[in-house]
Amino acid sequence: MGDGEARSARRCASLASISLALLESFDRLRCLGRRSVLALSGIAVGCAAVVALLNIGHNAARDAIAAFQGLGAHLLVAGFRAQPGVTRPAPAALDRTALAAAVPGLEQAAPILSYATDVHHAGRSASAMILGTTANLAAVLDLRLARGRFLSDFDVSSTYAVAGARVARELKLQTGDRLRMDGYVFEVVGIAAALPRNPLLPVSADDTVFVPIAGMRRFLAAPEINHVLARGRDTARLDADAQALKTWLEGVSGRTVDVQIPRHLLDGLSRQSATFTRLLAGLGGISLLVGGVGVMNVMLMSVGERRREIGVRLALGARGRDIRHLFLAEAALLSIAGALAGTLLGLAAAYGFVRFSGWRFALSALSLPLGILSSLAVGLFFGLHPALAAARLQPVQALRDD
Amino acid sequence: MTVESVTLVLVRRGGPGGGNLQSFAMTQSPAMTRAPLIVLEDICRTYRLGGQSLRVLDHACLTLDAGERCAIVGASGSGKSTLLHLLGLLDRPESGRFLFAGRDMARASADERAVTRNRRIGFVFQSFHLLPRLSALDNVALPLRYRGQSRAQARRQARFQLQRVGLSDRAEYRPADLSGGQCQRVAIARALAGEPSVILADEPTGNLDGATAKEIMDALLRLNETHGLTLVVVTHDEGLARRLGRRLRVRDGRVEEEHG
Repeated sequence: MGDGEARSARRCASLASISLALLESFDRLRCLGRRSVLALSGIAVGCAAVVALLNIGHNAARDAIAAFQGLGAHLLVAGFRAQPGVTRPAPAALDRTALAAAVPGLEQAAPILSYATDVHHAGRSASAMILGTTANLAAVLDLRLARGRFLSDFDVSSTYAVAGARVARELKLQTGDRLRMDGYVFEVVGIAAALPRNPLLPVSADDTVFVPIAGMRRFLAAPEINHVLARGRDTARLDADAQALKTWLEGVSGRTVDVQIPRHLLDGLSRQSATFTRLLAGLGGISLLVGGVGVMNVMLMSVGERRREIGVRLALGARGRDIRHLFLAEAALLSIAGALAGTLLGLAAAYGFVRFSGWRFALSALSLPLGILSSLAVGLFFGLHPALAAARLQPVQALRDD
Repeated sequence: MTVESVTLVLVRRGGPGGGNLQSFAMTQSPAMTRAPLIVLEDICRTYRLGGQSLRVLDHACLTLDAGERCAIVGASGSGKSTLLHLLGLLDRPESGRFLFAGRDMARASADERAVTRNRRIGFVFQSFHLLPRLSALDNVALPLRYRGQSRAQARRQARFQLQRVGLSDRAEYRPADLSGGQCQRVAIARALAGEPSVILADEPTGNLDGATAKEIMDALLRLNETHGLTLVVVTHDEGLARRLGRRLRVRDGRVEEEHG
């Protein structure tokens, strides 16, 4: 045997060794022994846990954020801080033209001025918040009307009012009805559709009667704006807009102004749900590890039971690496089959859970590569150890164990 | 290549390149009978059993010529199986020289030993050692697969070997569905598949009844007579040992030539 010939024969043999190992382990998996089923289910359950938990976490986070998404991703809430010793009143009205010029990033801005009292109609009464505001509050809050119209810019000094959904329901209000509040009579021109309570806002639209801001002088001797609600055009620029709004308001009022960005709360919320998802992924990883230990035990058992076979193969001329390839191929095939089965199982479980919880299912894109690759890694890692142990055996050691 | 030149090579065995030349001579003319195929010098092998070390082979020496046949006999536990494992490169001696076709196998790498086992040595075991999950044909083809042959090619060659031992109609049977004699014939076909220089048989008839044992022994002897295969048989059966001619007895860790 010449050296070159030997080398090419060896190269050819090493390729053949891998294909032989694959073919043989495939044959063996086809007649699935009990051990293979055990290993396979270990990997499959681990992978399913990772995929399912990642998807459930993803969907839970989406649902939590979606609940707030419509309610203020664009909102800014400015409030005048109550300071001891400062007696200068906040303005009673908002110069919207000047504000739009000073803070061009704002799409809409509406002042609100509130006063709590009882409202009466046709012998019924209800407690309500009277909110003096301007026409564009509807746009800021995304408030829709069930009947009639909202306040308009021409209603400034009129006695028109728009009733919130709960107030209208309790008083059985229709448009055109007359509403008595603190001795004053207002005409109902519109009834608002129900708006889910938004914890990020200082008003609850359903419990409110909206009146033109100028009309608040009827209820309050010295009306002061409580808050300015504004809607920014670009969520990415909200911080800058908030700062500009604060500066402008402080300039015109001489009072200290705090501007809150509900968006920040949303961000905190998504950070929290990301943590939650990571926690679930960690749980999935642990179950995958447990599955991996199962695979390792199965592979070790397999080596133990098949010592004699390893001895025979070595006697017939298998090299250490042939044996190693054989067991690695087996581990790889087990892991691949387990990962695929586990992915399907995990997706089905996550889908069932998400539908059961009443959320809408959305696939977490990361879950598939993460689940499959980590199962493959675990399966190969734990398959490698017994394969290396098998490859190190001396032929006579392996053969002697009958 | 003449007989003189081989002798010359043998004399210069220790010199550089001598081993290669000699193995070249071996592979070129397998029918040549008086060249040593296997040389064991001062081989020692110790086993550790329960804290006690047991020297099974103690400076054993042995020379086997190509084409020769011989029996290894000895009492139970005398070390005859150990000797066969060493001859078959299934085990390594602690010390001593082991030349296989001129190459020093005691110091060869594991891979080189595996390749030598694959290409030069055929094993026949007492308990057959067929792989239960493979068909008879795939069992016979296995050594060829480890040589890097394609599946189709290996199976073709294996089919031919099965035919030689008269089992071509049982090619797709699993070992569990074959009788003991048939299993041993499959094992012989497997040993022959790689066209080795030497067949090492460890009690090949130990698990078989009288008639089948004779049949298997006849088959092995025929291989030696007609194909010039070197044949080494470990046995405790004196009658069988006599049929092989040369007898080596393992006793007290030494290998002794036995006559008569």
